[in-house]
Amino acid sequence: MSTSSGRLSVTIIGGGASGVLLAAHLLRNRDTDIRVTLIERRGEFGQGLAYSASQRDHKVNVPARGMSAFADDPEHFWRWLQQRGYPSSHGSWVFVPRRLYGAYLEHVLREAGKSNPGRLLVMSEEVMAVRESKNGIETLLANGTSVVSHSAVLAVGHETQPARSRGIAVRVGSERDTPLPADAEVMILGSGLSMVDAWLSLADANHRGPITVVSRNGLLPKGHRDVPPLSIDSADVPFGTSLPYFMRWFRDLVDETKKRGGDWRSVVDGLRPYNQRIWQSWSGHTKRQFLRHLRPWWNIHRHRLPPELHERLVAAVASGQVKLVAAEFVGVERAEGQVRAEIRRRGSSTREKLGVARVYDCGGVSVDVLSSSNPVIRDLVAHGRARADALRIGLDVNEHCAVIDHAGKVTEKLLVIGPLTRGRFFEIEAIPDIRVQAATLAARILSHA
Amino acid sequence: MGDIARRNNIPKKFLDAILSELRNAGFVYSRKGKAGGYSLARPADEIKIGHVDRVLDGPLAPIPCASKTRYQPCGDCDEATCQIRRLMLDVRNAIADVLDNTSLTQMCDMGGPEVLIAETMTA
Ligand SMILES: Cc1cc2nc3c(=O)[nH]c(=O)nc-3n(C[C@H](O)[C@H](O)[C@H](O)COP(=O)(O)OP(=O)(O)OC[C@H]3O[C@@H](n4cnc5c(N)ncnc54)[C@H](O)[C@@H]3O)c2cc1C
Repeated sequence: MSTSSGRLSVTIIGGGASGVLLAAHLLRNRDTDIRVTLIERRGEFGQGLAYSASQRDHKVNVPARGMSAFADDPEHFWRWLQQRGYPSSHGSWVFVPRRLYGAYLEHVLREAGKSNPGRLLVMSEEVMAVRESKNGIETLLANGTSVVSHSAVLAVGHETQPARSRGIAVRVGSERDTPLPADAEVMILGSGLSMVDAWLSLADANHRGPITVVSRNGLLPKGHRDVPPLSIDSADVPFGTSLPYFMRWFRDLVDETKKRGGDWRSVVDGLRPYNQRIWQSWSGHTKRQFLRHLRPWWNIHRHRLPPELHERLVAAVASGQVKLVAAEFVGVERAEGQVRAEIRRRGSSTREKLGVARVYDCGGVSVDVLSSSNPVIRDLVAHGRARADALRIGLDVNEHCAVIDHAGKVTEKLLVIGPLTRGRFFEIEAIPDIRVQAATLAARILSHA
Repeated sequence: MGDIARRNNIPKKFLDAILSELRNAGFVYSRKGKAGGYSLARPADEIKIGHVDRVLDGPLAPIPCASKTRYQPCGDCDEATCQIRRLMLDVRNAIADVLDNTSLTQMCDMGGPEVLIAETMTA
């Protein structure tokens, strides 16, 4: 067991984007003597689920100008791209391959380690559990050893197991995602960016067979346009109201903006700085209503596609190769070398079965932590040291991202960063928000030095 | 309702209009019938004065041009160079900051005539 010395020590569990951003922020202030241990099971740092995408066409969905690791140095990523001679005809309004962004985060981590000799320790291990101990938090590793530090931060990110139909439906890029015959019929579940990834992988493999995309609303993500966000002050935003009232305000604002020759995207982007506050101002009832009725609609407007990808996808729908179906996914079974998916179309009460060669599950990366496949989350929840948030879309944390146990007690030394805090913050999926959370968390951890 | 109007010395019609706006925005709900009336839709400490004020009085603008989404030009000055407007936008954000951090419960604790409305409703 490695024990912590007198100096401040932090263990970060998970070395995806969130873990790396936090490590970089913790090591930014060179005056504080700190030991940061970053533990990642994939063996690669900075990639995680999003930035390990192998294909060039798997692009980030935020322009480079919004993807800097540091909110107070917005050009950081763009400078790195330029130093590498990345070609762009639109300046920093460019959407780079996601794996390139993973390489950038790896660079950010390496630089943080280099400029703070002896302060950053990276380990390629899986974390099985965390325990509160007298000295702080003990992090138990799969190899039987453990790390003790003053505090630990869970940066374990997204669920990696398909939420539905474990074992039959396949995740894109997973081991079971083996090559398919080019004319095979395929079904993709979901309407988000992972669905687009799945379609892209098929398109790049010159897949010719029909592709049925099943989602609750049968909608496609919208495309980006280079328009400036609307300037909105917090005094303009109706916080704390009912959902219908808020939506009326939102739609009116979109209409007025369009009347002045503007674009709805400017409204969505102008609201972005207030999304966490809007979410937090809502009652539990309003939040639930939003998740049930508006989330898919909101997601396709908020999480948009690079324009050229959007055009390709729209063309594939127009050509008939991709068919969009608004339906509820009921289940899937194996049948004679095929899989048979059962769906219920929207507005219909009867179920129908479709035989396809494969079902890709690209639905909700946010699953109930109670059914998490992650050992450290399972252990925390099973022992009542952590619990799901009230809406069951992540872990319950307080306003400082500290874990709340089954009895409502806060463990100040065990923190959470990234998408798992979405129950409290909601708008905490993408880099522009995670980097701000990383800066806030780092400042708080360092204030204990 | 009649009670609130009497104790606060405001016309019942006026109160009616306010309450129906608050209902539209989801801060209160109403029940019909004998035991009917209005109640708060959420605990009083979750309801922020600033949130209610935006619904009743618009986007907290001290003067009509000092709003970004509900901007109304004054007609006699140039928005781009108007220092007053710029100042008033700051004033307005300061107003929002105070009101958004004050809950109905806190306002009740401050006392004063408005309290009666709040108290009758929280009771
Ligand atoms: C397909 C996709 C595309 C996206 N594209 C963008 C984009 O273009 N721009 C943008 O801003 N956002 C994008 N996002 C949002 C994305 O959520 C964040 O940018 C980011 O990936 C979140 O990183 P994370 O580190 O929190 O989670 P993850 O990426 O899930 O990383 C978690 C890491 O923790 C490790 N880990 C988990 N459990 C353990 C354990 N027990 N022991 C050790 N290690 C563990 C995992 O191996 C993994 O590497 C995208 C998301 C997805 C899913």
